Amino acid sequence: MMALRILFLRELHLAVAGGGGAAGPAAFMLAALALVPLGVGPDPEILRAAAPGVVAFAALLASLQGAERMFGDDLADGTLELYALSPVSLTGLALAKAGAFALGVLWPAPVIGFVAALAYGMDVQSAGVLAAALLLAVPGLALGAGFAGALAAGLSRAGLLIALIAAPLQVPLLVFVAGAGRAAMEDTGLAGANLMLAGAFSLAALALAPFGMAAALKARLE
Amino acid sequence: MWSAFANPERFERLAARAVPWFGWGALILFAIGLPWALIFSPPDYQQGDTVRIMYVHVPAAWLSMAVYAGLGAASFVYFIWRHNIADLAAQALAPIGAVFAFLTLTTGSLWGRPMWGTWWEWDARLTSMLVLFLLYLGYMALRSAIEDERLAARAGAILAMAGLINLPIIKFSVDWWNTLHQPASVIRLDGPTIHASQLWPLAIMALAFTALMTALVFMNVRNMSLARRFEARVRQQIRNGGGGAV
Repeated sequence: MMALRILFLRELHLAVAGGGGAAGPAAFMLAALALVPLGVGPDPEILRAAAPGVVAFAALLASLQGAERMFGDDLADGTLELYALSPVSLTGLALAKAGAFALGVLWPAPVIGFVAALAYGMDVQSAGVLAAALLLAVPGLALGAGFAGALAAGLSRAGLLIALIAAPLQVPLLVFVAGAGRAAMEDTGLAGANLMLAGAFSLAALALAPFGMAAALKARLE
Repeated sequence: MWSAFANPERFERLAARAVPWFGWGALILFAIGLPWALIFSPPDYQQGDTVRIMYVHVPAAWLSMAVYAGLGAASFVYFIWRHNIADLAAQALAPIGAVFAFLTLTTGSLWGRPMWGTWWEWDARLTSMLVLFLLYLGYMALRSAIEDERLAARAGAILAMAGLINLPIIKFSVDWWNTLHQPASVIRLDGPTIHASQLWPLAIMALAFTALMTALVFMNVRNMSLARRFEARVRQQIRNGGGGAV
């Protein structure tokens, strides 16, 4: 337990301090959200209707930005082997990595999502629901990115692979997060259900993804 | 029970016998099913002759899903018992499933033009099929990106199992998305019931597709297994001082 905590704190420290941490994915998300209106046009009605989906999609893309580095760097410089020799299991390592990724890198996603939703013309309450959905989705996003990152670690063109692997697996999160925002906006009474489904997906990912990541890392190290 | 097929030589012998059975079976079933489905079966009272697309579309859709289940099962067997034949089966199944998914999307789009008036409708089933196609692409891309065969096999197996677990959730989420945000007036592709005059050719076409798929899988697995043993023998020959006949 002690070792796991040290590992988690080290990963968190690295995520925050080394290489910009949250800044990269956050900037990516901001840039994506800034470019969409330039593509679809300034019509406020269209932008408002598209806002939940666009915000959820931007958050999903941003979550994949750091996925390549989550295990790739450690594999390249041998840190991963040392971790494997430590008393922490690979499953624990996967959990620590994904947790540090969620807390150190993805935390701005709900904030940016909230601000962007307002800028796209959503009312404050709906934007709040969308931000809450993003917050519930952050663990799922981090674990999905980690799973794809563990499978693609150290491969050339890992970034492209991660996007291709994670995109279909993360479809439910995209649906539930965008669905929560849209339901709140249209007042269909299903915002709560969407929020719960987003949280449920994150919990299911929490229960299963660390084992998948550990299996992928084990295959890589053997 | 899997171990009986884990021996490459025994599997190759079995496959060599199975390929002609399934291959000829597919040929005969297509010879019966294709004319029946495309010429002799009655046109639909609503859809006219376009209903004949169903005889390709529906079997392809069934098989693309069944093949993914097979891919997941083979991956599971490989991951637990490390039987190489199971991995070769997974490797052979993936492109076949992807082609069936692609065929489903293409025929669905061609069918959608006369029925819905658009080439593409964001219908729950077409969208799920598109995601399934992406899952196949991801699996094949991951495998082809890893040079080490053993690592590619294990990474692929992990991804295929994750995809299989996630597939019902994806299916649910797409249905959820679709029922919430689409008017429910889209014409159902296959209608509530299907008449016997259409069911028989459909069943024969489904069997023909299945036989063809089985023959292709056996053929590919056997080829890959032979190639693998050949390479192993060449390497051994080189280690033993090279030269001489392989």
